[in-house]
Amino acid sequence: MSSEMSRMKFYCDDDRCIECDGCTVACAEAHELPTGVSRRKVVTLNEGIEGKEFSTSVACMHCTDAPCEQVCPVDCFYIREDGIVLHDKDICIGCGYCLYACPFGAPQFPRDGAFGTKGAMDKCTMCAGGPQETNSVHERELYGQNLIAEGKVPVCAAMCSTKALIVGDAQDVANIYRARIASKGKGVQSAPYGWSKAYGN
Amino acid sequence: MKKYLFLFIASLFLASAAFAADSQIWDAMRVQNILGYGQEGSYKLGQLFTMLQANYFAQVYLAVLVGVPAIFVLHYLFLGPKVFSHDGKKIYTFSLLSRIIHQIAAISFIVLIPTGFIMMFGSSFGGGSFVIMMKDLHGLSTIAFGIIVIPMFLIWLKDMFLHWDDIKWLMIVGGYLSKTKKPVPAGKFNAGQKTWYWMATLGGMIMILTGAAMYFLDFNIAMINTMTGLSQIDLLRVSALLHAVVGLGVVILFFVHIYMAVFAIKGAINSIITGYKEEEEVEYLHSSWYKKLKKQGKI
Repeated sequence: MSSEMSRMKFYCDDDRCIECDGCTVACAEAHELPTGVSRRKVVTLNEGIEGKEFSTSVACMHCTDAPCEQVCPVDCFYIREDGIVLHDKDICIGCGYCLYACPFGAPQFPRDGAFGTKGAMDKCTMCAGGPQETNSVHERELYGQNLIAEGKVPVCAAMCSTKALIVGDAQDVANIYRARIASKGKGVQSAPYGWSKAYGN
Repeated sequence: MKKYLFLFIASLFLASAAFAADSQIWDAMRVQNILGYGQEGSYKLGQLFTMLQANYFAQVYLAVLVGVPAIFVLHYLFLGPKVFSHDGKKIYTFSLLSRIIHQIAAISFIVLIPTGFIMMFGSSFGGGSFVIMMKDLHGLSTIAFGIIVIPMFLIWLKDMFLHWDDIKWLMIVGGYLSKTKKPVPAGKFNAGQKTWYWMATLGGMIMILTGAAMYFLDFNIAMINTMTGLSQIDLLRVSALLHAVVGLGVVILFFVHIYMAVFAIKGAINSIITGYKEEEEVEYLHSSWYKKLKKQGKI
């Protein structure tokens, strides 16, 4: 697969996620996030219902038709060629509209001003930094590390002990998931939620 | 009324306290928020907000910003302003208290409306610190408006109920579509002023509450969630939608109000400054009130 064709995606295999919260901690530590901001969070659904309970890790899903980018009144979002959705904190006014549009509750607003004013939005960058000069001090302060620029895997997926959380080119992610289903001989009857939208054309 | 005041004050206090406690959006509630997005039986407000905000709100507001003043220019050129004698007697219309209240509301609106437009078209201003400053001004002037909105509602309430004159006034659009000087059926306030009153007070309160919800974002007032049956994120989406829709009505009527006071009726703006209306202006534009005052021997 040529690099121009690649489209970066996250996928969390909820058969494997053990709710260890390692991804949340790794992310917060790697990017030195303030208290109250979790770019990535592990959620458990159907808690206590036997056979139905499962956990999954959510963050910004870097949507192809990102609703946040559509509703932003100051157009601070930009979608990289590889599909990573990023935003410019120097343009963001902290209005909160991206949060209302987001299906995953990904955009967060640290309260850094007086009287509880919302600061610039913060969200998962897929460890790809921001619009500033790559690996500059300014970029690191605002967005955390830029691991993608160094050719490394985003920390959350890199440290995931069960390899439930996988990240990479959409086609590769799809292949890994398909291989897992095939080797188990059983799996989901239908594609997971949002699969066709996220990984299809 | 009391409930509204309580909610407003409570939101101010609880907002800071709630942030220290569990987040209503990003902690345990996050599952509910994610499921509520497009699931069967949910309000699907996320999609609705995205669709309207991405494709319609800014465009409709732009059309209003350009279109409404354009209609006024045409009206002024072809039908012209109403001119009444300013040399005749004057009728005391607005008490000092009502004028002070009006002026506070006026100043807050003069700040609120342009700053709101600047936020809505934030990308044209490059976002960043300038738009943030406008956003802060928008919030600050809301405090002034929030203080006087209830007194304003109360001082004029008794004059603002629907009257038979209002139907007649609306049928002829207040006589503004004709050049002839004819008595127009209206009491102390005509149907247009009454519409503006209800939009500015009730609509204004909706604007304050929805704006406060969006400003404080991650607050915890369980009462609202139980009463409305909405999760926090859906409450915010409803707030954003209402703020844009009601705001449109407020903006249109604000423009009309300015046009009437400053251009369409020559010198009408003086009445809210001095408190006195021209007798001839009252005789024609508030004919029912004029007859009543005559009967009472007040003129």
